[in-house]
Amino acid sequence: MKTSSRALAFLIYCCSFVVGGVLMGFEMLGSRYLFPYFGGGIGTWASLISTVLCALAIGYFAGSAMVARYPSPRTIATAILIAAAYLALVPGTADGVMSQIMDSIGDGPSATLIASTALLLVPLTLLGTFSPIAVSLLTRSAEEAGRIAGLVYGVSTIGNVVGTLLTTFVLIPTIGSRAITYIFALTLALCAGVLFLPAARRRS
Amino acid sequence: MIIRSVVFGVLASALVAIAASQAQDNRTLLESKESLYNNIYVYEQPPYVSMTFGHNRRIYTESVYNTRDDRDLPVSYTRFMTASLMYAKDVHSILEIGFGGGRTAWYLHRFLPNVPVTSVELDPEVLALAKKYFGIRDEPNFKVVNRDGRLFLSESKDRYDVILIDAYRGPFVPFHLLTKEFYQIVKDHLAEGGVVAQNVEPSTMLFDSAVKTINAVFPQLDFYRADGNIVTVAYDGPERKAEDLAAAAQDRDKTYGFRYSLADMLNERRRIQIEGGSVIDPKAKVLTDDFAPVEALKSIERHNRKMP
Repeated sequence: MKTSSRALAFLIYCCSFVVGGVLMGFEMLGSRYLFPYFGGGIGTWASLISTVLCALAIGYFAGSAMVARYPSPRTIATAILIAAAYLALVPGTADGVMSQIMDSIGDGPSATLIASTALLLVPLTLLGTFSPIAVSLLTRSAEEAGRIAGLVYGVSTIGNVVGTLLTTFVLIPTIGSRAITYIFALTLALCAGVLFLPAARRRS
Repeated sequence: MIIRSVVFGVLASALVAIAASQAQDNRTLLESKESLYNNIYVYEQPPYVSMTFGHNRRIYTESVYNTRDDRDLPVSYTRFMTASLMYAKDVHSILEIGFGGGRTAWYLHRFLPNVPVTSVELDPEVLALAKKYFGIRDEPNFKVVNRDGRLFLSESKDRYDVILIDAYRGPFVPFHLLTKEFYQIVKDHLAEGGVVAQNVEPSTMLFDSAVKTINAVFPQLDFYRADGNIVTVAYDGPERKAEDLAAAAQDRDKTYGFRYSLADMLNERRRIQIEGGSVIDPKAKVLTDDFAPVEALKSIERHNRKMP
């Protein structure tokens, strides 16, 4: 029992790192999807960053609301899996959606915000629910709460840093942004799979 | 102790660097502006006014204006941008993407006052400074639009005989103005027999990819060397023969009375073998909206490769 819960804790920290990496990696990729339509200026970056932060805020709130009712690895695994599915749809649909937005709303701040919302809000909100649920799964007593929360956010922030740098300096210069998106989707799906495993094993 | 000597060393070398740059720099700063996109510095060194981007002022000079002569083009590549005029079947409308200090557009406007010249510039502060210091005025047939170049073209229904592209400058390379998709949009906005001229900086691997990308959309590509830069002239259809170009150059030189004669520029025309040649790296890839690592390519120097 003790080893299995320790193994689960390790998995959750690993996923926290990976989810953090994909989250920021996808934000950097977002610029490659948006620039051809809305220009490459600071306005587009502002839209991307604010959308990501909004998604995280919503994700944190949603996570804290869900955690009392569904406190299991399956909850976060499901959220990650849906995010993965969303990402997998992006390469095929992004151009259609972007030109639709440009044709109907133009290219001003509101159009750029709507475009970055369409691209980022759903998957990143889902990924945002990860941390609060992870903290509650890892915490066994009240005095541990602060330490665990610090660890989870620390690990996921290191993931953010790695995701940002890896995407910008390694992935974008070597493979296309659509291929990177598929890799991110696959990575998330693997994370979800790994988190489903202990739940399945416990039931059997 | 070690730390202190390091600090002194850094301070000393910084002071030497400042002294050296001051000794070399006898320009007066007229105005500096931090815009949404650039740090812009306008310098005066009579009779010239120059616009520079970024802090490294020797490298990123964007535009030089002779205050005593608004038809002067002191920067060599801007003259060669006008070489496109001997290629175009007609000259009824001209578009420029990347206005900067507006020298090329204004030169064309002065020599072709009856031809509408439109120029698109992303940075509103650049436009404001160009109007303030570079002798740019509102005049009939001369229009400057504050817009992203690709957006402008995507939304425009107009077609142009000549499109000049000079939008990536200094340290800023907007990838969406260097992809196959972008050049396809450009092509869709060319009138029949129209041409595209582009300023390309040839010292990094970005040059090889840019050439391949332009060539992926425009089968014909001529090169003009202009000091540190290269101007490419791209067009669709069969290759223009040298004698036809010479005739057109002579004819238009006479009609418009250009200061920088097209016939002289024609002597500098170069054609190169793009596929399988020794000038363009065979491994260089066509840039697309999906794959355009412009920053990475720009950081790789072109070693041991001839310039066109």
